[in-house]
Amino acid sequence: MSQEPFLQPWQFFLLGGMLAATATVIVATGQSPANIIILSLTVVSVSFVGLGAYRILSPLVLPEVDAPMTIAGRTRIALEREKMLVFRSIKELEFDFAMGKIAKADFDEMSGRLRARALGLMRQLDEGGGYREQIAKEVQERLSDPSIRLKADTPGLCECGTQNDPDAKFCKNCGAKL
Amino acid sequence: MASLGALLLLIAFVLAAYAVAASVVGARRRNSRLIESAIAAFYTIAAVMTVASGVIIYAFVAGDYSIRYVRRYSDSVQPLFYKITSYWGGLDGSVMFWVFLLSLFGVVAVKVNRERHRELIPYVVAVIAAVEMFFLFLMVIHNNPFTTYLTETPVDGRGLNPLLQNFYMAIHPPMMYLGFVGATIPFAFGMAALFTGYLDDSWLRAVRRWTMFSWFFLSLGLTLGMIWAYEELGWGGYWGWDPVENAGMLPWFTATAFLHSVMVQERRGMLRVWNVTLVIITFLLTIVGTFLTRSGVVQSIHAFGEDPELARYFVAFMLFTVVFCFGWVIYRLPLLKARHELDSWMSKEAAFLANNWILLFSAMFVLFATLFPTITEAINGERLTVGPPFFNRWMVPIGLILLLLTGVGPLLAWRKSTVANLREQFMWPVLAGLVTGGVLIALGVRVWSSGLCFMLAGFVSGTLTQEMIRGANVRRGMTGTDLFTALVGLVSRNKRRYGGYIVHAGMVLIFLGFAGEGFSRDQQLLLKPGEEAKVGDYIIHLDALRVTDDGQKQMITGHITVKNLDGEVIDQMRPAKWYFRKHEEEPTTEVAIRHSFAEDLYIVMAAFAIEEQTASVEVHINPLVNWVWFGFGILAIGTGIALLPEASMSFALAKLPAEAVTASLLLLSILLSGGSAFAQHVETGEDPRLQLVSPESRVVAQKLACWCGGCSKLPVGQCSCAHCAKERTNIDQMLKEGKSEGQILQAYVETWGGNQILSEPPNSGSGRVVWAMPIVVGVGGFLTVAYLARRWSRRPSIAGMPAGVEDPEMAARLDDELRNLD
Repeated sequence: MSQEPFLQPWQFFLLGGMLAATATVIVATGQSPANIIILSLTVVSVSFVGLGAYRILSPLVLPEVDAPMTIAGRTRIALEREKMLVFRSIKELEFDFAMGKIAKADFDEMSGRLRARALGLMRQLDEGGGYREQIAKEVQERLSDPSIRLKADTPGLCECGTQNDPDAKFCKNCGAKL
Repeated sequence: MASLGALLLLIAFVLAAYAVAASVVGARRRNSRLIESAIAAFYTIAAVMTVASGVIIYAFVAGDYSIRYVRRYSDSVQPLFYKITSYWGGLDGSVMFWVFLLSLFGVVAVKVNRERHRELIPYVVAVIAAVEMFFLFLMVIHNNPFTTYLTETPVDGRGLNPLLQNFYMAIHPPMMYLGFVGATIPFAFGMAALFTGYLDDSWLRAVRRWTMFSWFFLSLGLTLGMIWAYEELGWGGYWGWDPVENAGMLPWFTATAFLHSVMVQERRGMLRVWNVTLVIITFLLTIVGTFLTRSGVVQSIHAFGEDPELARYFVAFMLFTVVFCFGWVIYRLPLLKARHELDSWMSKEAAFLANNWILLFSAMFVLFATLFPTITEAINGERLTVGPPFFNRWMVPIGLILLLLTGVGPLLAWRKSTVANLREQFMWPVLAGLVTGGVLIALGVRVWSSGLCFMLAGFVSGTLTQEMIRGANVRRGMTGTDLFTALVGLVSRNKRRYGGYIVHAGMVLIFLGFAGEGFSRDQQLLLKPGEEAKVGDYIIHLDALRVTDDGQKQMITGHITVKNLDGEVIDQMRPAKWYFRKHEEEPTTEVAIRHSFAEDLYIVMAAFAIEEQTASVEVHINPLVNWVWFGFGILAIGTGIALLPEASMSFALAKLPAEAVTASLLLLSILLSGGSAFAQHVETGEDPRLQLVSPESRVVAQKLACWCGGCSKLPVGQCSCAHCAKERTNIDQMLKEGKSEGQILQAYVETWGGNQILSEPPNSGSGRVVWAMPIVVGVGGFLTVAYLARRWSRRPSIAGMPAGVEDPEMAARLDDELRNLD
């Protein structure tokens, strides 16, 4: 996100919209309240169209992208959520067993499968460590391995300095494998 | 203003096209900038549609009659409320409203799932934008709501038909659209899963709440439609099997099937191909529904009219969708193979399969029967009528089977139930059913179909009660609390399941309401002021016939006093006919209804003669009908509970979500209002109904379909228009002359030149197809399901992840976390 000190884009557009709506209300004095309300709401919506246009064009034009980048592979949040879901499935299974809805053998098999999955997820989360460690690890990996950095950050950039298409397999200048 | 609106639609179309292209290219090339830009374009479509909606509503409110659409559906004296709701009153505006809703839903769906399902989102955006493109294309090319008059600008509008100027017109279409449009979101996620190959349960999790939401609004829309028909149309019923009514039901059937079969995929990893197919079919049926309403392919009072060009566009879109979507399903079949198989017929999986079979059969049957008149007309020029008697003949047994399954499903075990299992689970519910059925049949209730319905209702109630009590006891054992807290905790811990059980309880009440129709009675009375007659447990006494005027309309009201059999006055009722200025040839029939839990007293003044002060009054007694609306209220509460987020805590039963409260309050208020409601039917007060006819003539008349064009081909015995009254008199005459029913029907077929006059197709010639079809489809479907089930059970077991030996330390940690979870 760009470092503007006072107005984010959406705040700018919303403010503009509300000012325009106020102007509209002043111009439209004398019409019925319903008319005025609808007009001002419509004008505010126009400001959102403006915001939309800005958001459509800015990723294509601005040098940095506003979007959050994911860490390679599944995010920690996704893993945690997956773990919670597996836990809930285990609890639901145990409940069904207590209600007599599953035979013991079936319960053991299904429960065993779910528990194995839960344990696997817990192990993954343990190994992953906290966010700081994850980021540090990722940065370290990228800095220490030049080929990874080249491929991940600027796909298609050859060692000779030529920029190729992102999905190119060989450099068009020196013929080196990308 | 009109040109601004048209420009906005064009801009929206371009944005949608850009969103499709940029998101697909961005996803293929992993270019996050393009994806960002595409998503922003997608959001901007919503903003543009909001502005366009604002423009058209402003045009209505400010009275810009240079726009054709505004002139057609509004005028200067129309109340503000109806000016605004005319936005969706006509075809063009309704398509725009559709796109508007879809764009808003799209924004919510993408925002919520942006982070959780990153891989799927670009394709979800592409699919939703593609659907928007189609509807925007329709508007830009063909039905633009902003089209203006080129030369003369009218000074005033035509005004909305007074038949439509009621509360239900304002609310029923939006609720239906919320349901229809909502079905696009699960479809988009399903297609995204197919495109990306991520066909595990993650896409299901994303769409579970959307499907419930869409299903709920379909149910609400259908119920509001039923209430509208009941309170407005004046024939005493609430469902006429009109083609457009049926079109609304079709996606409801498949959405219900989907909600159930999703559970099988989540628990056992089965039915993956089927689930993705179901979600595609549900979306297709919403398009079929909107196609039927708008193309003129079927005859219906709901239809917007005939438009062959529009029909062609829709057909092209549907064909493309079928080929494209099912092509992808076939392409991904290897990835969709089930991990497990069906172990036994006595299992929950089998019960869900049966549930799906029944619901899909219902959908196919209703669709085929609805399209049958069009098909026969296309083949041999004869447009046969498929009326309510035919539909009811099949849908009653289907409904009973569904009710049975509702009770059986929860009691069966996953994988397989042993005999001991079955005995323990089924004993009390079956007993409850038998006792209920036995008592009522002993009291004289007919076994088919009401007695059976009550028996099954008792069985299902037994199942639900047993589930709640046993579940609460299990929870009590686990947590050591009292029964009530355990019950609340039970529901909050398993919101989807117990919310679902509450929905089933609502369905039981609705079915009971349907069963009450078997005991209804209708009587036609011819009264002069001071005269009275006995109908059922009431005495209907006509006090006077009064004429009044309020500037907008002339009102002829029958002042009726209702007394009980002891002569005590219990109510005053005022059925009426209203003649609106500028629409005098289409008076509305205002029905008077006295609601109570046991029954409704429903009075319509079909005709009158002012000079002789005579009124022809039709009295209907509809037992249990309010249980249908009340049952829906319970269903709404159950859905609300099931929709609550997982994390929301144990006061689930105390804090109802907003939509359930509004819907239940709305329905309760309708239930408790004993006053008169507003009805419509297109006819005038003519003499034919000022003559009494015998009940036998009504029975014969049931076999003929009304052709007045103002009702949905109701049987002549039921419709209250002038044509039908005249024909009932004729039939009465023919019966008195000694003719048999067969001879009378034959005479009508000959006079009117064909079998289309009959309310059911004859079981001969091309009519035979529609009689054979349900049997063929039903049996065929059953055999297919059985064959597939057997094939699955013969496959060697593909084990999931091997259990292996658990590391004791990790296992202990797992147990700790599980215990703390609750």
